[in-house]
Amino acid sequence: MKFKPLIYLSLFPLLTSCSSGVIFEDKAFAFDTMIDMKLYEGESSSLKEIKNLANTYSKLTDNYLTSDVNNVYTINNTNEDVSVDSNLYKLLKLSYELKGKGLTYFNPLCGSLAKKWKEALDKKEVLSSGIIEEELAKINSSSLTFKDNNIVQRVGDAEIDLGAIAKGYYLDSVKEYFVSKNYTKYLINAGTSSILLGSKNTDDGLFNIGLSYVKNGYLKLKNCFVSTSSNKSQGVMIDGKIYSHIVNPINGSALNENDVAIVVSNNGAYGDAISTTLTMCNIEEVKEIESLFEVKAIIIKGSDIIYKNQELEVYYH
Amino acid sequence: MDKKKLRNDLILIISLFLVMAVTLTITLSFKVRTNLVARIFYENNIVETIDLSKNEDKDYFVDGKHGKLHIHTHEGAIAVLESNCPHQDCVHMGYVSESGKPIICAYNAVSIVIDGNNINDVEI
Repeated sequence: MKFKPLIYLSLFPLLTSCSSGVIFEDKAFAFDTMIDMKLYEGESSSLKEIKNLANTYSKLTDNYLTSDVNNVYTINNTNEDVSVDSNLYKLLKLSYELKGKGLTYFNPLCGSLAKKWKEALDKKEVLSSGIIEEELAKINSSSLTFKDNNIVQRVGDAEIDLGAIAKGYYLDSVKEYFVSKNYTKYLINAGTSSILLGSKNTDDGLFNIGLSYVKNGYLKLKNCFVSTSSNKSQGVMIDGKIYSHIVNPINGSALNENDVAIVVSNNGAYGDAISTTLTMCNIEEVKEIESLFEVKAIIIKGSDIIYKNQELEVYYH
Repeated sequence: MDKKKLRNDLILIISLFLVMAVTLTITLSFKVRTNLVARIFYENNIVETIDLSKNEDKDYFVDGKHGKLHIHTHEGAIAVLESNCPHQDCVHMGYVSESGKPIICAYNAVSIVIDGNNINDVEI
């Protein structure tokens, strides 16, 4: 009897080291990355559903490979009308319209420029100014026409690349699915650049989101999308400068103003497109976009946070 | 007698808290410093588990969806040295020794996940 408290207390450390309570976990390979899915409630069949969604959107937005359905690759290889899936139609339209809504550095028609930069950087070379001029001319003289019955026509030679928005758009549809199922506890990590957070299976429901480039730094978040664009993971160092896979559709450069842009938002597609844009913005432009789209951003240069929305708190381990 | 009992109880309680504090410290430091283990997945199945703390220089060849990947461990880090994927993103990642930074070859449905020091739910 005397030692009863001792027994209870000795159990305490054991209880604190219990796992995070993930019920269902799965991986999908889509969008050229791995999608890590964690569900803290519901049924395992739900993961199958969102896995299928990933494969569908990945096929539709692929600009490198042909598919059993008309996709971005199909549109990029013709100037004829192309009948596409309604989801791809909506995504293309949204992407095309975002530029006019204030995202100056976001342009889905910079696919060919991005490919040329990738080919050059793979050989550790900088793209020549001549090729950049050619590609910019293509972008500026090309357009997309949206017709009835989900028909899209590409006019001109610029190619579509939805890499900066597709995963976010997919996560929007995952969220829609979770809402329809009344699920609130989940974490869907689409290759770290696009993350959908519900709440965690803990009292406060908050997830710890580690900031790789800020020593021991992390955010505590739930019920939001976290979009990250960075030149650090795929950047190539040439003559002391980091050239990125994120290209500027205005001047054709692959040198970014910022190293990392993190956007916390309520919409995956917008969050992804905005984070891409913010890598090319100065701080005043970052603030303007934040207020225009009601998102919260963190901007990192090197390992320093040079801008942080005041509503976001960075914690340290 | 009561005073003695109270003193003994206090000693007991303080001792218990000290034991708890020590246990928690050990548990947490174990979580942080635990050995790094790399798990190689093909799709959702683990095909290889490697203890990176052994610091071995070793080659691994893993079958992917479209071909074989040449994986190498060196000084507690792991890298994909060769893959037939078109983008070569997995190869370009180089040697990785931190958890939260998976190496992914989506083309071959192979991923390398490092576990051991992950104190966050996800890294960005």
